[in-house]
Amino acid sequence: MALRNAVLRHLRVPVQNLAVRGSNQSQIGFLGSIRAFSSHDDHLSKQDVVDRVLDVVKSFPKVDPAKVTPDVHFQKDLGLDSLDTVEIVMAIEEEFKLEIPDKEADKIDSCSLAIEYVFNHPMSS
Amino acid sequence: MVDKGQVISLCRFLLRAGRQYPDYNIREYAKRRTLDGFRMNKNLTDHSKVVDAYVEGKKQLEVVERLVKVYLAYPPKTKNIMELKLQ
Repeated sequence: MALRNAVLRHLRVPVQNLAVRGSNQSQIGFLGSIRAFSSHDDHLSKQDVVDRVLDVVKSFPKVDPAKVTPDVHFQKDLGLDSLDTVEIVMAIEEEFKLEIPDKEADKIDSCSLAIEYVFNHPMSS
Repeated sequence: MVDKGQVISLCRFLLRAGRQYPDYNIREYAKRRTLDGFRMNKNLTDHSKVVDAYVEGKKQLEVVERLVKVYLAYPPKTKNIMELKLQ
């Protein structure tokens, strides 16, 4: 992991101001396919998942961003209804490029469940 | 006898089908329209009206799936500016 980061840093030296997340992840994807650095390097970190899920929830127009924490419940704490929950789960699916089956999607009721599901899913990206 | 689970499931099918459109505008419209449609009928109490709305939703789902196939045959040639990531 440290070796891969060192190599990535070395590769990024000639380019300036690449603070955009998209480019960072595309580089990791390229090196992840070689699999020479560690056995499990193409899985997201927990903090990354938490940040991205919270961003998705915060950018929802009906949600007050100040109330969003990693263990907030959509219907109880944020006052959303089941249709809004469906919309949020769809947005999370799009963010992580997943396909969540209906049974699992019905159970996702809060941020913590969403974060857990995404983190445990092997295909999250 | 239409229950809440079926309604939510129909909403999901419509949203998933709407996601497949190649054109950004039509894709956004499909998502907006399904959510607005479901929200408008959210508070219906009369069960026969609920069943009517559900049947209407099923018809729209067929329409969306058919149109997805048509639009996929003629995808837009350039990416819409709203789809480009901010640099």
